[in-house]
Formats: sequence, C-alpha cells, structure tokens
Amino acid sequence: MLPLISIILATLAVGTVATFFAGARARWVALGVSTVFLIEVALLFAGYTGWPGYSTSLVPGFSDTETYAWIHLSWLRINYAVGVDGISLVLILLTAILQIATVIYSWGETHRPAGYFGLVMLTCLGSFGVFVALDVLLFFLFWEAVLVPMFFLIGYWGGPNRRYAALKFFVYTHVASIVMLVGLLALVFYSGATSFDFSSIYAAARGLAPEVQVFLFLALFFGFAVKFPIVPFHTWLPDAHVEAPTGGSVLLAGLLLKLGGYGLIRWAVEVLPYAIHALQPLLFLIAFLSIIWGSVLALAQRDLKRLVAYSSINHMGIVLLAIALDSSLGLLAAVLLMFAHGIVSGLLFMTSGSVHHQYGTRDIHTLGGLTPTAPGLATLLMAGSLASLGLPALIGFPAEFTAFVATWNGIGYWVLIPLIVLVVTAAFYLWMMQRVLFGPQKGLPAEVPGLPWYESAGMGILLAFTVLFGILPSLLVNVIVNSPVKGFPGT
Amino acid sequence: MSFASFAGPFAPEILLLAGALLVFLLDVLKIRRTEIVGAVAVVASAGALLLVLADLGFTPIAGLATIPAGQIDAVPAVGSAPLYAFTSFGLIFQAIFLVAAFLVALASVSRPSDERGAPIFFGLLLIATLGMLLVALASDLIFLLLAIEVVSIPSYLLTGYTRRDRRGLEAAMKFFVIGALSSVLSFFGASLLFGAYGTTNLYLIRAAGTSVGDPVLVLLGYAFLIAGLGFKLTLVPFHAWAVDVYDGAPHEVSAFLAGGTKKIGIFAFFLVFLGPVLAVDATGASGYGLFGGAVALGPSVQITLAVLAVVTMTVGNVLALLQKEMKRMLAYSSISQAGYMLIGIAIGTSPALAGATLQVFAHALMKTGAFLVVGAVAATGVGPLIEDWRGLGTRRPLLGASFGLMLLSLAGVPLTVGFVSKFILFSAAVDARGWFIWLAVAGLLNSALSVYYYARVLKVMFFDPSPAAAAPTGAVEGASEPAILPLGGLGYGRAAAIGLIAGLIVLFGIYPQPVIGAIQSAAQHFLIAGA
Repeated sequence: MLPLISIILATLAVGTVATFFAGARARWVALGVSTVFLIEVALLFAGYTGWPGYSTSLVPGFSDTETYAWIHLSWLRINYAVGVDGISLVLILLTAILQIATVIYSWGETHRPAGYFGLVMLTCLGSFGVFVALDVLLFFLFWEAVLVPMFFLIGYWGGPNRRYAALKFFVYTHVASIVMLVGLLALVFYSGATSFDFSSIYAAARGLAPEVQVFLFLALFFGFAVKFPIVPFHTWLPDAHVEAPTGGSVLLAGLLLKLGGYGLIRWAVEVLPYAIHALQPLLFLIAFLSIIWGSVLALAQRDLKRLVAYSSINHMGIVLLAIALDSSLGLLAAVLLMFAHGIVSGLLFMTSGSVHHQYGTRDIHTLGGLTPTAPGLATLLMAGSLASLGLPALIGFPAEFTAFVATWNGIGYWVLIPLIVLVVTAAFYLWMMQRVLFGPQKGLPAEVPGLPWYESAGMGILLAFTVLFGILPSLLVNVIVNSPVKGFPGT
Repeated sequence: MSFASFAGPFAPEILLLAGALLVFLLDVLKIRRTEIVGAVAVVASAGALLLVLADLGFTPIAGLATIPAGQIDAVPAVGSAPLYAFTSFGLIFQAIFLVAAFLVALASVSRPSDERGAPIFFGLLLIATLGMLLVALASDLIFLLLAIEVVSIPSYLLTGYTRRDRRGLEAAMKFFVIGALSSVLSFFGASLLFGAYGTTNLYLIRAAGTSVGDPVLVLLGYAFLIAGLGFKLTLVPFHAWAVDVYDGAPHEVSAFLAGGTKKIGIFAFFLVFLGPVLAVDATGASGYGLFGGAVALGPSVQITLAVLAVVTMTVGNVLALLQKEMKRMLAYSSISQAGYMLIGIAIGTSPALAGATLQVFAHALMKTGAFLVVGAVAATGVGPLIEDWRGLGTRRPLLGASFGLMLLSLAGVPLTVGFVSKFILFSAAVDARGWFIWLAVAGLLNSALSVYYYARVLKVMFFDPSPAAAAPTGAVEGASEPAILPLGGLGYGRAAAIGLIAGLIVLFGIYPQPVIGAIQSAAQHFLIAGA
C-alpha cells in the first residue's frame, strides 16, 4: 500500500518551500499544492471508508499507519509513527478545505505574497501533522510547528497592534505547550511505555495509579486548554484575531483551536480514562464558564472580528462540555462541533475581512444597511451567522443538536445552561445582523468597489460545505464513529 | 614503544600544533594577510576534526582513525595512574571543540584582510583549541588543570588582541584576573583532594571512593573545585566576568569563548564529578557505579549541583530579559544555557549525561553562530543595541533567517537541534524519577521565559520598520519596503560558516540519531566500565 500520509506530508513540505521561493507566483504554487492536498485527502478518505459503497466496508481503527525508527537509544524509542482514524480524518478534511479556501480568498495579497502564502502552507502542514502523528515527539513537533508561522502571520501582516498580539499569542501558547510536553513525557516514562508510540502509551497508561492519572491529565489538559481556549486563559485569542490578517484569523479559528480539542481527545481522554471520570465536575465548571463568559462578552463587542472571536470561545466551551461528558455520543458531538466551527468561523472571519475591505471598518456601530450596497456579502454574512447560531440545514445544527442530546443523556437538566446561552448567542448574532445588514446607512459610501471574485470564491467554498454537511451530516458521522475509541461501533 | 605508535593517537593535537607553528612562522616571514593565515587555521582545525571523527568510527572516514581500536575506552589496569586516557566521551567533546574552532576560523577569514594581528589571532586560536583537546583527554586532576591553563592563557590574549578599543583591553584584564583566581581555587581544591586521597589521579580517587581520607577535606576540595571550575563554566554566582568579557571581546573571539572554550568547564565537571570509571575487580563484572566518587559523598554534592543549575538558568534568563545590547543578551543567555548542561551532571544517569552533552554540542553550534552573526552584522555598520537591528530581517532575509533560526534553537523551538537536546535532557530528568522531575519543570519554565527575549529580537528584526538611516532615501515608512540587500559584503567565510551552522541546526533538529546515538554510547562507556 502507498504510504499516503508520508506522501501528503512530503507534498505539503515541498509545496511550502516552493511557495516561499516562488516570489510573485507564490499564490499559484499555493493553489496548486492546496488542490493536490485536497485530492490526496479525498484519497485518504476513500481508503478509510471504502468509497463509494462506504457504510459497509469501513475499516475500524487506525488506517494508513506507518512506523519507522527515528531516535532509538537504550532508554528512549521514538518512532516516526503516523496514521488516521475517523476523528483525525474529519479534521484533516477540515484542514484541506480551509487551506484551499484561505489561499483563494487571499489571492489579492500583495504585501510580500511569497512569505504570506508560505506561512499559510506551513500552518496547514503543521495542523495536518498534528492530526496524523501517533508518536509523542512527532505530535509535539507539529504542534509547535503551527505556532511559529502563526506568530509571523499575525506579527507581519496584521493590524495596527499586531506586534503586541503576536508576542502575546506566542508566549501564551508556548508556555502551554511546555506544560503539555512535561505531561506527555511523564505519561511515557511513568507508565513504563516501551516507546513514544500512541499504541504503546495507550496500552501502558491503563496501569497507572489513579492519582498519577489525575496529575498527568491536569498537565495535559492545561496544555491543550490554552489552545482551546478556555476561560481564564482565553485573552490571547481576541487580541490575536483582531490583529491577524483575515487568512490568519481563518486558520487560527478554524485549525489552531481544533488542535487543542483533538489533542485532548487523543492524548488525554483516550489514554487516561480514570482521570476524565474523576475530573468531570471541574471540566464541566470550566466548560460552563467558557460558554457563558464567551457569549456574554460577545454581546458587548463592537468589532465584528472580536464578536466572532468571543463566539469561538463560547463554541469551544461546548466542545469541552461534550468531551467532558465522556460518552461516545459526546465525543461524536465534539468532533462534529469542531468541524462545524472550523468551517463556519472561517466563513465569518472571511466576511468580516471583506466588510473591512469594502467599508474600511468593522465597527458594528458604524456599519449599517449593507444589503443594498453589497447584497452578496450581506448574504454570506447572514448565512455564516445563521450557521453559527445553529439553524437547521446548516452544519452548525447537527453538531449542536448532538451535543445537547449527549448533554441531556449525560447530566440531565444541566443542559439548560448551554441551551439558555444559545439564546444569548442567537441574540448577539441577530442583533449584529440587524444593525449591520438592515439598519439605516449611516454615512457609509453608497458605492463600494464590490467583492473581488477571489473573496467570493473563498467564501463560496466554505458556504458550500456548510450546506453540504448541514444536509448530510452522515457523511462525517459514519466516519467518526469508526474510530478506535471506546464506545464507538467501530471498536 | 616507537615514537609513531605513541604519537599516532595524538594526530589531531599535533596537527593543531603544526598549524599554529606555521601561522607564527608566516608571521615572521611577514606573510600576514588574514586570508592566508586564516586558511591555515581552517585547514588545521578541519583536518583535526576529521581525524577525531574517524577515531569515533564515523563510517565514511573511519579508515583515517589513528587511535588503535582497543585503546579507546580501555579500562586501565587496577592501580595504574594514567595521566590521560582516550575515551569515546572525551573524543565527542574534542569533536565539539573542533567544530566550534573550525567555524570561528572559517568566519574569521572574512575579517579585514590587512587587519593587524591576524596571525596572532589564528595562532592563539589553534593553541587554545589544542588545549581544549588536551582537556578532553585528561584523567588526572593536574593534567586537567594544566590543560585548562593552556586554553585560558591564549583566551586572555585573544580577548584583547586588537589592542585598539579600551573595552577589549578592559575585558582582557578582567578575564585574566578572574581566570587566574579561578585557577588558584581549582588548584587549591586539587591539593586538598591530594591531601585526602594521596593522589590526583581521577581513576585512583574513583577507586578509593568514600573509603579514604578525611571527609571534610574531601568536601572542601570538591567545593573549591566547584568554584574554580564554575568560573570557567560561568555558573552563577561565578558568572559576572563572562558578560563583560563576551561583550568586550572581538565578535569572533566572543563566539569562540562562548561556543568553544566555555565547554571545557562542563567537561571538567563531568570528569571531576562523575569521573572515568575503573573496574573494581579483575572480572570487571561490577562497574564502578553511577555515583561513585564525588556524588557518592551523599546527596549533598548532587543537590548542590542541582541548585546551582537552577539558579544559573534562572538568573541568566532573568538578566537576559533586561538587556538592551545584543551581545550582553547573548552572554546572559549563554550563562543560562550552562545551567541546562549542569542538570545532566546533577542527575548523573547516562541518559542525562547524553542529553547534557548534546546540549553542549547544540549550544556550541547556536552560540558560535549567534556571535558570528553579530560580527557579520557589526561589520555592516549596525550598532550594538538590539534596537539597532530593526528591520534587519527584511533587509537581509538570509542572514536574518539564519539568526532567527539560531535564536529559535536557543529557545528550544522544535525542528532545531536546540529542541532535541533539551527534549532528551528533560526526558532523562523525567525518566530518572524522584525529585529530578522538578529539574525538568524548572528547565522547561526557564525555556518558556527565554522565549520572550528571543522572540523580542525576532520581532525587532522582522516586524519593526528599518531605522530611517538604513532605509533608502525617499522611502516613506510603511509605504515602500527597504531594498533587500544581497548576501555580499559579509564575506564568503562568514557566509559559509553561518550557512553551515544554520544547516546543521536544522539537520540535527530533524534527524539527530547519528549524533545522539554516538553520544549515548559514549556516555554509557563513561559511566559504567565494560557496559
């Protein structure tokens, strides 16, 4: 069998380097590589699901695994080990979609385009690596490899306060990574795992004493949760989003936040089953706090991007809630939510960016009556907002619905907290749409340049997937549930 | 024993000595152009490096090996007191020293070709390197300390060799006074140990273990050695000289001091506190355990070393945060890196030793490279402040990217050798269990702290606009970008050295197995006889 994952990694790596050195033609190289990447991901998907007749011939467990010796010492066995399961496949699909949409959306980038597109490619390479890594060191390498390009994307192409935001982003997430690394190392050595491979840690960690499990889980959780981000470690996110260029925001919200959720599922929840059980109350508390706090703060925002950023905190809070439920339905909901949030927040950040390009401001109080002057953009903004608040037939709905059903199954009436907050979420989106799209035109130019084709195309791609998976969520669900995770039918 | 069979194993040392003598001979013949004498130093150090690598058994060049196979890691007969020994661990350090010397020599070829004192510089560089190689062979305290003097005296001269600016001379003076003091402390410590053990041979001291001598005398002896050698290694509180010296010395000398000579201190620590290992009985079945000798005096020495390690890391990092000048920032960062290396000795297992040695190698690459870049940048007329580097990354993308890579490696960001070394070191700390995990936590927190000041330099270099003077005339800030300057102007030597370092940082960051594999097996030999 072809080592498809290594081929994809090589494609992205070569593509990234080529993009950096392509000068003015960088965007073409980036587009080409993104297209190839998308096709390869489709092949990976097809291989896993036995496409087209796919619900019958699913491969349970990890597929496309590869293992090669990397660093072998007497006391240390680190392999290059990769593989995918349903959970990672769905997030890889998200990576491929967001990459091509971002590249197309940013087609008009003229400020050092080679650097810009190269960094976009590098971010996606790192994310893909995180999702396929089945070795602690490899996982950590890719995890950190996402950090550096994002630092430069924010710091070089960002808004007026970009330097502060970039530094804050870097320091916050790097400290978190370090704590996570200690946790991972302790996991390997304390469990007596024979190698740094996921499979050997997975087998060995079950023998750990309960209190050790809890201790390790807390270290890992801190590392992953800052990326989530959870309250109270969330303050880097709004700053980073507001200052980041649109493409950076899309990748930040769409991919980077997902790394936290994925890491938590793969390296903490699956591996330390006792700890998640013991720490459930704490996780619920943090999740509820993030849900409420993100939503309430979103209400108070005037900046479109800041609003979407706070709504991200709210959504990721629901993801944490779903993970903390420690049930198969909850896990399914968490992955669906991550996918949905990745697509929808990408769409929303793109529309915010386009509004900024057209009108020169993102201030909700200044904007108004967009619909007559920019009907296409208004439609896209509305579609994104509606998907974000969970309108049926769009991707947000199946995800949130699953999450609430899972919450009800798990903790009963506590589901009222996220449900009530959902009303608040709906309120701030409706309020925003009402002011921005339908209100009176307050001194804005009557004529705007009009959406460039590439921005429409970038957003169109995301909108298409929002609708597609909104109507056919089973395309994702059938894949996710074949992951080798306790409780799924695939196990 | 014929002369050839005696001298053969010393081929690298002899090559360096011959190179130095040739340089001085050229000086007498009034052939003093930097390129010519520099080429001699480059060839001598590169040749010596190849010979050492061959002795270590790296396959493509193993045929050049001059040390008979059985002589490396040979366990000396019980009771014999050899002055020197060929250990694979020592050879690893020789290779590290030679890498630093080679890179510094290569870059220094690009110094002004009619610069006064070029033969002095390259000659002393080779002599100091020779001394470093001898340090790595030592198995006797007196041999060790004398070899350290062979390194130190040329280093004092190198620091002030330009004789032009007062800062360099002041730095040299300070370096000399402090260096002399540290030598005195070391020799005094050695004399106390001699009083306790009746020998200065590290094998015999090791064999005697804790059974011989007055414990107070032994503890005092080791305390003086910690202080004396701690000066060389720039451990806090023996670090204050380093910043002024690295700051005041010519840039290439700073690179050599921070990337090269400083590492003799860590090797001396390894040697004195872990020591060459002697099989205690004829069967060789039981090796002389991990914590024989000094560390077996009880956890006191171990805890002292651990505390010194943490204090050194933290103080170095915190002070580096406060620096406004690039070289002083790098100097403090160098101090903090010494703390990481010391972790390895405090833990004292072979994984930790391997991690610390890899850290020595990584630091030799990174810090040599960083100071060489400072030299290259200063040669283009940029000032000493970090502020002065504004926009450098956009004006000179390749140089900026290389320096950025070195800083990221110093900060321990993945895909760089600096990450791998810290990863292995901290893995070893976690693996050692017990309270050692807190050393890993302290080290990691310190790495996080250090990220801040490295990232700040990146920010200045890449995000901040160029100073008006450096921007082309008529450029409006933000409206147009300053022209990208070509690589030229740095000189080929500098460009080659910096490029080579950047390449090695990435190469060993991605595939460290050849280096770490060799280091690990050497460290095991170093700790356990016959293992």
